[in-house]
Amino acid sequence: MAYISLREVCKVYPNGYCALKNINLDIEAGQFIAVLGPSGAGKSTLLRAMNALDPATQGEITIDGVTLNKKNYRKIRAHVGMVFQQFNLVDRLNVMTNVLVGRLAEHSWLSSLFYLFPKMDYQIAEAALREVDLLDKAWSRADKLSGGQQQRVGIARALAQQPKLILADEPIASLDPKASEEVLKLLRKICSEKGITIIINLHQVEYAKQYADRIIALNAGWLVFDGSPEQLTAAKQAEIYGTTYEETSHEPELVLAHT
Amino acid sequence: MNPSWYWPTPNGKPPLTAVLSVVLPIAVLVLTASTVDMSTNKVFYALPRMLDFTQHLWVMPDWHYLPQLGKKMLETVEMTLLATALAVMISMPLGILAAKNASPNPWIFRMTRDLLSFIRALPELVWALVFVSALGLGPLPGIMALALVTVGFMGKFIAESIEVVDFKAIEGLESTGCTKFQSILYAMLPQAVPDFIGSLLYILDHNLRAASILGLVGAGGIGYDMVMSMRLFNYERIGMIALSIYALVTLLDRLSDVFRQKAIGGILNVH
Repeated sequence: MAYISLREVCKVYPNGYCALKNINLDIEAGQFIAVLGPSGAGKSTLLRAMNALDPATQGEITIDGVTLNKKNYRKIRAHVGMVFQQFNLVDRLNVMTNVLVGRLAEHSWLSSLFYLFPKMDYQIAEAALREVDLLDKAWSRADKLSGGQQQRVGIARALAQQPKLILADEPIASLDPKASEEVLKLLRKICSEKGITIIINLHQVEYAKQYADRIIALNAGWLVFDGSPEQLTAAKQAEIYGTTYEETSHEPELVLAHT
Repeated sequence: MNPSWYWPTPNGKPPLTAVLSVVLPIAVLVLTASTVDMSTNKVFYALPRMLDFTQHLWVMPDWHYLPQLGKKMLETVEMTLLATALAVMISMPLGILAAKNASPNPWIFRMTRDLLSFIRALPELVWALVFVSALGLGPLPGIMALALVTVGFMGKFIAESIEVVDFKAIEGLESTGCTKFQSILYAMLPQAVPDFIGSLLYILDHNLRAASILGLVGAGGIGYDMVMSMRLFNYERIGMIALSIYALVTLLDRLSDVFRQKAIGGILNVH
């Protein structure tokens, strides 16, 4: 059985919007998988369904042999790292604490209450920070760092969870091209060296082709492409993004009643 | 002629809310002025008497009163600090329970909110009356009254500053599989610290002034002396008391400015 499997997964938001439509997907361990698709296609929803930040409303998601249900959300999340577009760090805490947060799931409420962490956790956090090359910033406040650095702290937090899977939800959408490349290279390296499965949402087809082992594309909630980077031809790309071009082409005029 | 100035709305007219926020207060003022007996004449004719009172304040202070004044002012400050410290400790957990995003369930949220507003419903002076009749005269009932009302306010302020915390950090924590309690501790509270400090400093300022009138009902502090010298037209003392309260409030204000800058700048950090 595949490492991750999605069976007939649907997601309908409370307002009736259907973001995922009957998704069937099998993902092997240790792969670097890029998810493409226009804005609003359901890429984020797909990732957020996998760690139940936005649970699927129908279907079955199994990760490493465990099927997601209401009772095991936290247990599953403990070993699934997540990297966000806006980094989602605690700005006022220092970098080290932000990384140690990745260890919290293992601790009781009492030790958390006093902000105390065992030595073991510091070693794990230190290793994670070394991995993302930010050990020298360990005691800086998170919001004092640049965007690229903050994203690397986000990755270190995910690494501190000692995950088998990292979900990266448009991790480079808020970064400049140089920082974007750094973050992608870093994630690729983590995948190749540690064998951690990485599923990453991207807007740039070129990056997806360059870094991914496998590319998945969504459009309007449907799975519209699933294959190797080589199989993603120009014609396929037009198909994936095509419909939205037409939708956005008619610009509304600015109406002024002032004249 | 066509006017050439417009408001930045689709139809060029001012938005309704903006118009209402100007018109309503004026309307309320016009409608209520007669009921509360607000007349400019009355104020105008009272001016000479006010001036008269102010003139009487320009007398030689009663220097023999100085040690007593110092003692009472110190008592007022002690009451303020003790009551505020006590209230902060109690209102922290209550504030968390009264924050919509941190409360364990909607019922507890609602009940804590209602409890806090019940406490706030009566002013310090009324609570002080209650405690004075139960415990007798002295600063203790004053401290208790002050602490109680402060819990009511501080609890609400804490809840509100937790509620406006950026959701992203909380989500970041939740994605690691930690518990709600842990996400309150590591995402909500640190992000709410600047707001806490702001409310705390405001409350301290407010409590200092509240503590200085609690003596009115015999609940300790400088208030008793102030009221007595007012009643006895003891101008030698009134001026001294007013000045020392003013000096203390100003000093606190300066200190809180410095403190606020440091706290928000991040010197008061975890680690």
